[in-house]
Amino acid sequence: MSEEEYRTVLATLKEEAIYPYTEDEMQVVKSVESCINCGLCIQHCPVVAAVGLDRFSGPRSIAVELSRSPPEYWTTADVVYLCTGCGTCREVCPKDVDIPEIVNLIRARIFKHRPDLVPKQLHAADAIIIEHGLAFVPWEDPEEKVESRDMRLERLGLRYIPDQVVKGADVLFYPGCQAEERAQEVKESAKIILDYFKVKFTLLEEMNCCGLPATLLGDDKTALELALKLKKKVKDLGVKMLVTTCAGCTSNLARIAERDAWGIPVYHMLEYLVEEIGIAKLSSTFKRNTEEKPLKVTLHDPCHLIKHTSRITMDYAGQILSLIPDVEVTQSFAHDSCCGGGGLVSYHAADVARAVMKENLAAIEETGASRVVTPCPLCTAQLEDNLFRQGSSVEVDDMTVFIAQRLP
Amino acid sequence: MAKYDVVVIGGGSTGTAVARDCAMRGLKTLLLERDDIASATTGTCAGMISSGLKYMDEPDIVDMCSDEVVYFKRIARHIIEKNPILTPLLEMSDISSGGNFAEEYSKRAETRDVPPVLFLTPEDSLKIEPMLNPDLIASLYFEEYFIDPFALCMLQALDAKQHGADIKTYCEVTDILTKKGSITGVQYFNRITDKMESVKTKAIINAAGPWAHKIAALAGAKLELRLNKGAHVILDRRVVNVGVITKAIEGRMIYLFPHENTVLLGTTALDTWEDPDTLVASQDEIEYLLKSMEWVIPSIRDARIIRTMEGVRPLVPTWKIPEGDVTRGYEVIDHEPEGVSGLISFTGGKLVVCRHMAKAATDLVCKNLGVEAECKTHIEPLPGNSDDVDILALAKEYGVSQHTVERMRARRGSETATILELTRNHPEWKTTICTCEPVIEAELRYAIRETFPQTLNDLRRRVRLGTGPCQGTFCTFKAASILAEELELSGADFQLEIVDFLAERWKGKRQSIRGEQIAQEELAQGIYACVGNLDQALEELDYDLKPWEEVL
Repeated sequence: MSEEEYRTVLATLKEEAIYPYTEDEMQVVKSVESCINCGLCIQHCPVVAAVGLDRFSGPRSIAVELSRSPPEYWTTADVVYLCTGCGTCREVCPKDVDIPEIVNLIRARIFKHRPDLVPKQLHAADAIIIEHGLAFVPWEDPEEKVESRDMRLERLGLRYIPDQVVKGADVLFYPGCQAEERAQEVKESAKIILDYFKVKFTLLEEMNCCGLPATLLGDDKTALELALKLKKKVKDLGVKMLVTTCAGCTSNLARIAERDAWGIPVYHMLEYLVEEIGIAKLSSTFKRNTEEKPLKVTLHDPCHLIKHTSRITMDYAGQILSLIPDVEVTQSFAHDSCCGGGGLVSYHAADVARAVMKENLAAIEETGASRVVTPCPLCTAQLEDNLFRQGSSVEVDDMTVFIAQRLP
Repeated sequence: MAKYDVVVIGGGSTGTAVARDCAMRGLKTLLLERDDIASATTGTCAGMISSGLKYMDEPDIVDMCSDEVVYFKRIARHIIEKNPILTPLLEMSDISSGGNFAEEYSKRAETRDVPPVLFLTPEDSLKIEPMLNPDLIASLYFEEYFIDPFALCMLQALDAKQHGADIKTYCEVTDILTKKGSITGVQYFNRITDKMESVKTKAIINAAGPWAHKIAALAGAKLELRLNKGAHVILDRRVVNVGVITKAIEGRMIYLFPHENTVLLGTTALDTWEDPDTLVASQDEIEYLLKSMEWVIPSIRDARIIRTMEGVRPLVPTWKIPEGDVTRGYEVIDHEPEGVSGLISFTGGKLVVCRHMAKAATDLVCKNLGVEAECKTHIEPLPGNSDDVDILALAKEYGVSQHTVERMRARRGSETATILELTRNHPEWKTTICTCEPVIEAELRYAIRETFPQTLNDLRRRVRLGTGPCQGTFCTFKAASILAEELELSGADFQLEIVDFLAERWKGKRQSIRGEQIAQEELAQGIYACVGNLDQALEELDYDLKPWEEVL
């Protein structure tokens, strides 16, 4: 069998648009096979609720219709890129159908074989990831980055803990691209918290994206490269565990750490606080707030925590908030509602992302809370942007920042 | 009484091909079909327009098959797809049996625009198809073409109609009229009008497939067939990337072919004396296929079985040899020597040679009638023949999802734009009726108006309604109401349509029902019995249980 002959075979596969499934992917396909078309997912899909079935035909259509024949995957680009990947469908499904994964699988094939059908904004995002190894273009002038950081610290009343890279530290703190480049206060707050509890932590010498955005836009190759690069850095540092403050990073890092045998656990900061620091220690920590009236707070649940990692994370969020004096938590009726920013939808279909957010905003206003807290800098940005557009007086805090501000 | 040059009996691949050929040659042609177009043997085949790979010992048949593939690619390219196929070899002895095949296949590969047979290493084979048994020592690779058999028959019938033929479905021939040993006419019962009707003709072409001997008998002619049944197991979605062919438990070849958005596992071959109308796949056949495929695809039993289908092959009557040794050629039998002038029957044949069979019979009829006309069925395209339908532009123009348009294109070819144009006046017809395929209302309405279906089952053959994993759970009631509106059915007939269609689906589900399909069935029963109360309505509807339905 010559190589030339094998190329003939590959040429036919390409011509017939047959993109072989790998063995791993067959597990996903197998899960989708169990769909019984019951439609429960349609009733719960936040995108369907926001924009209707005519715009986004919904998770059921992805299971019973769009994912049946790989040669036709390219035709689904107008639908699958509108999924925010929130994972609600998978959670409500009585047959455990893994819709978010099949969406990634289909996107990966479209990206590889019909890149012209991938929204152009996602190609732009991909180019940035490939060039910089980060989801955003890094600051051109490091001085400006520092200035922006200091302004944020000052505004929020946070102290500065210098960055440190320590081999053999217990904890690698991984801020994720959003906290590294944009919401720097989240990264700073995490350092404050770790420092407060005297944790031996380290940062990466050079930050690189965990690869989630590349996976979501279908660029599996780049996603894998980033994951392997990160693994090497983690291994070189010889840490015992990884802590992050980003919901998306938490779920993705947990996934790739298991897949690529990193051999260390991945925690979200909330999990780390409750499981490693411990409630007992936390309960004696928080200082009395200076505010006269208790602050009315409501929580937003990031999909990547509750649906892709574990629901317990948000129980922890509630527990931690309950330990902070002068904070009164009100439940929002918009449980499980996606911020609309998932799946990179906001990059290319801002109207859909905003429509998804709308239900959330109404629910937040309804609680009468003056502040929304959420343990994810991306959700925070998405909420902030939309509340501002709506002219709302409700403020938004990333929960890591919220906690750091209330440490003595 | 109407008069025809020729009456064709049977609306399968051969009958519709004959009607088309006759009509194109200017003969006044009538096609009579007792049920619907492609409702029996053709409708249960795998759609492979085979290069003759199983019949390498019959080189002239292989040549014929190869040529026919080339013609189909010319006249019906919108309903054709190519499947790469692997034959994994697990033992050295498998290799020796592959040799002759590889040589014969490769000789004719170029004319069909496919590579010669290639030998792949286990590594390359597994890259293409990770589901293969990793213990394979090599695999043969080759490529075959497949056609949508329902669409082929329908298009041949429609094309015949466009050339002046009359196509009558639900007309069952009850008698063949003769006078002094010559055919004079045909009498048939029209199930749509509930009346006996008859026409005059001097020539009859009997393309009744597994019923051909019964038709011949009506004229007092003798015809022998070796009837042989074959079952397919239909799997949900494409669980293999490419086709797989392997040896079954007793050494026959069986296959696993991606087909549209499913995979077909087939087939069995059992000599049969059962009624082709009520035949269902048996547990033995299902196990035979699964067991045989399991050696090369160890996870085959994990795949979701949607249903089974069973059909009957009308083989050339050669006896005391295994089915596999019976010729895959066909015979055109002129019954004149036995004293029935004007009657021509077929035995044998297969999907890929249907046009060739039609040409042979039509040549004979023309000769008998003294008509001189050239066969053009291999040159003139079938309706919708086009591969350059712009899916993206149409989807955008009509506000319909790209996937919906692409599936429509696979069924309709260049007619897609005509169907979508209907949504200009009726934007509500963009509603998805069948969620598995998908099929939108506009295509259903179009199919009802242009392609003479009488039942939901007929619609299934035209648009693949109810053929997905939910097996009609979510489209049946919606499609029935559209059909009822278009055909002005009564309320009772509307309900009967639903019950009939669900019964037909049940025919294929019952034997193989397991795993997820049981959960699916619960849901279907919940909808139609618990919510729709149709089980309570059966008595009032005067519904007769089908032979494959349990007695209540």
